[in-house]
Amino acid sequence: MKPSTVNIKLAPSRFKHQVPKYKVTRSDACINCGTCAKTCPYGVHERVEGHNKIKPPINYKCIGFECQSKDFYCVAKCPQKALSLSLNPMYATLGDFRWTADMITGTWIMAETGAPPERKDLEYNVGNSGGGFDKLRFKFPAHPKKVNKSEISTEIPLNRRNDGRANVVISTPVYGGGMSFGSVSLPTMTGKAHNATNWNTFTCTGEGGFPDNLLPYNDHVITQVATGLFGVREETIQRVKIVEFKYAQGAKPGLGGHLLGEKNTESVAKMREAVKGTSLFSPFPFHSVYSIEDHKKHIDWIKEINPHALVSVKVSTPNDVDMVAVGSYYAGAHIIHIDGGYGGTGAAPDIAKKNIAMPIEYAITKVHNFLKDEGVREGITLIASGGIRSAHDLVKAICLGADGAVIGTAEMVSLECVRCGNCESGRGCARGIASTDSELADLFNEAWATQRLTNMYNAWNLQLVDLLQKFGMKSVRELVGRTDLLTHIDYSSQETESDHNG
Amino acid sequence: MPKKYHIHPKATPLELDYFFKFKIVRGENCINCGKCTKVCIYQAHKRSEADPRIMADPNTVVCKNCFRCIQECPRGALEKSLDKVYLNTGGAYWKPDMLLTLYKQSEDGNVPVSGAGYRGPFTGTGFDSMWTDMSEIVRPTRDGIHGREYISTSIDLGRRLNHLVFGAEGQLISKVPDTVEISLPIMFDTPAEKLSSSIKLAMVKAAAELNTFVIIPVADITAEFEKHSDNIIPRMTASEIDTHKEIIKKARIVSVDCDNSVLNGLADLKDKIKKIGNALCIIRVPAVKDVEYTVNKLAHDGAEIIHVVADYRGQEINSPAGSGSRHLKDIIRSVHLRLVEDKLRDEVIIMASGGIALAEHVTKAMLCGADLTAIDLPLMVGLGGRIYEEQKQILVLPEGLSKLPNSVITQRMVNLMAAWHSQILEMMGAMGIREARRLRGESGRAIFFEEIDRDTFGKLFLK
Repeated sequence: MKPSTVNIKLAPSRFKHQVPKYKVTRSDACINCGTCAKTCPYGVHERVEGHNKIKPPINYKCIGFECQSKDFYCVAKCPQKALSLSLNPMYATLGDFRWTADMITGTWIMAETGAPPERKDLEYNVGNSGGGFDKLRFKFPAHPKKVNKSEISTEIPLNRRNDGRANVVISTPVYGGGMSFGSVSLPTMTGKAHNATNWNTFTCTGEGGFPDNLLPYNDHVITQVATGLFGVREETIQRVKIVEFKYAQGAKPGLGGHLLGEKNTESVAKMREAVKGTSLFSPFPFHSVYSIEDHKKHIDWIKEINPHALVSVKVSTPNDVDMVAVGSYYAGAHIIHIDGGYGGTGAAPDIAKKNIAMPIEYAITKVHNFLKDEGVREGITLIASGGIRSAHDLVKAICLGADGAVIGTAEMVSLECVRCGNCESGRGCARGIASTDSELADLFNEAWATQRLTNMYNAWNLQLVDLLQKFGMKSVRELVGRTDLLTHIDYSSQETESDHNG
Repeated sequence: MPKKYHIHPKATPLELDYFFKFKIVRGENCINCGKCTKVCIYQAHKRSEADPRIMADPNTVVCKNCFRCIQECPRGALEKSLDKVYLNTGGAYWKPDMLLTLYKQSEDGNVPVSGAGYRGPFTGTGFDSMWTDMSEIVRPTRDGIHGREYISTSIDLGRRLNHLVFGAEGQLISKVPDTVEISLPIMFDTPAEKLSSSIKLAMVKAAAELNTFVIIPVADITAEFEKHSDNIIPRMTASEIDTHKEIIKKARIVSVDCDNSVLNGLADLKDKIKKIGNALCIIRVPAVKDVEYTVNKLAHDGAEIIHVVADYRGQEINSPAGSGSRHLKDIIRSVHLRLVEDKLRDEVIIMASGGIALAEHVTKAMLCGADLTAIDLPLMVGLGGRIYEEQKQILVLPEGLSKLPNSVITQRMVNLMAAWHSQILEMMGAMGIREARRLRGESGRAIFFEEIDRDTFGKLFLK
């Protein structure tokens, strides 16, 4: 259920055109009669009064082949047979195996409208990677318990230790990943925090410090303590409800961060308490931690400085991630946050993104079962990230054993990221999302970013509630570890009942 | 402190056109308003120099696929697509993106870095069906980025003793065989395609700079290569040995193709070579079905270095694809384990080649059980070579290549190896392994798709 602070409003694209999936071609046989302009309800064809020639088709407005069955299908209506419809070759340049063009387009629609797309021609729940989440499908009970949508809770508690610290509850089982000041633009950062406040959930500072612009959202910001300790001060630890240790990042496990000297501008340097223009390295690993005992010392330190805060431990997914998780529990962590190998980043070696550490799908199962076998699963919150792209991925992650998820790329895509991957090169993000370039960082403001994110979170929440209803559940907490509600295309022999557009 | 191994890359653009990925076409309905020049931060769009009233054709080589011109053109007059040449180059194994990254690495010598998460398929065939492990907290082997110079990538080549024997007085009785150390677990091999002698010369010079070797067919070793004999491994058949004594005498290592005479008379062959000079001997074995038995026999009979050669896509030789033909990854694992079973593994060096296309393949081949790898085609791609899996001629080198100064060709090979070396360090650093020698057969540091998928999803969903 969405909190009362969430208001859904249309937040259209910043750009004049969208990326078209289809291409409407008009041949020389056209006599500019204007029939198509009259028939198309979507505005693909435009004939301006007084002009001799009809304008070229506006491809992105076309709904594609599903129009064939409509009585306003322009290709059929054209008296000259001058129109044809095909897939637009441009669409092949958008997206990739993990984030398909359909998935990106679908997320854009969610961010614009606050609801899942109504279009039936977009497979926005499942990617094309051929493994992991993309091979899992849901198995709905034939006769689920009757549950009213208004009765369904999507809240999850983050403190399960019963240690007297705050009982922080988030309204939807998702929060925003750490993106540092310097790696993303200020409107991106504050938009994420504002949305987290709207949704009564969290966002994370990343490791570049805590800019003053985030102060109004203190209660919904996680202060990250990473290996470089950039911008970590007593007051940034004391002002928040959750402090996160970042041991590693899924996209570049075992490697330290590296902020190029040219990106270390005056304001970034001030925030990181460093000298402007120098390259900043985050070492790997924490040089004060070479054992679980050292790790406990770290957590105790935070707990001492902030007697109310919960402590989250973010690690990547090596073979022994399960041991690390159990160790974190005994060291006193409230949240174990595992970040899978296919997770996002502002910059990482390609070789690390592809090869190092396992995908999150395996790690969730591994960690969940290991914590269960150890008898401590109920005492810690398990958060998964690194490849959670859609509401379906979220639900699958929970079925595999997570309590909730952290998302980063999905937030960026909501702000119209196209995943071109040039966040760090030259002036940074051409679309102004992950850039501190004075001109580019001004391409949108906090209000627009907030609304887009709030809308996307809403669409995911609607899908989540819908799925829970189909499972006959009243709370997302009932879903944790329910692998019996999933099937796998390669292994499950029985007919799989899938519902991609749920 | 040990001497650090450094490779010195230098930006070396090639004055030849290579292919590119994205193509932008300006439609007829462009009104020359110039909006695209303002929104593109990569300067793909410019006004025509001849007539500033109109727009020039887009310079799509620089396009980074940000979509801003596409989305902001007031008339929607720009169209973008995957370039046809891009789509028609490479193949299922040598993907066009792979060729582009090799080309770029040869140009700047840098580790390819990009934003956003991995964008490829979840898993794949061959080396794509494994991940490498990392060590989360306990990491005494590496001090962040600053300690990486102390990760060693050098490898010793030569026969090793199973154990040492000491006399009653504690004196060493065993005769420790000679070894040759190279600084990278990578050697250069000469591709089957005909290469100009200037390219071969550049390979030799690059190998010398990198402290490794080039394997060159003995017949191609002409007088001009003479002064570089320290970094050349002449390759020959057993019957050619007598005719090339002079070359063998100078060589530190020679490579002999395996045939029946070699397989059944290895001791004689080694004697023969020892009589000519001091060279170590590589036995080159095609990775056919049952190659592990050949390797085992050779190792048993005293081979020093065995070079297992798969085809250019890493597939078994002589077994058609789809007939259960194994990939180099599986061939190496099997060869390695067979040697381990027979307690021979520590005595012999296994070099793997065929289908080693990216830096990650080197590390992965070693985790599977190779001591080192050999490469040929990646160097050629770095020179603007294109690979066509569907054609008779697999490798096509650019025409103007022979006119380029030899130093440019050499530097591009050095650059590529600099980039690979750094990438291997990234992977080793993440694993917490400080010496490349210790990668060999460390399958505990690898995560194999078949195993983890079966252990995870198989267990959950297999009915």
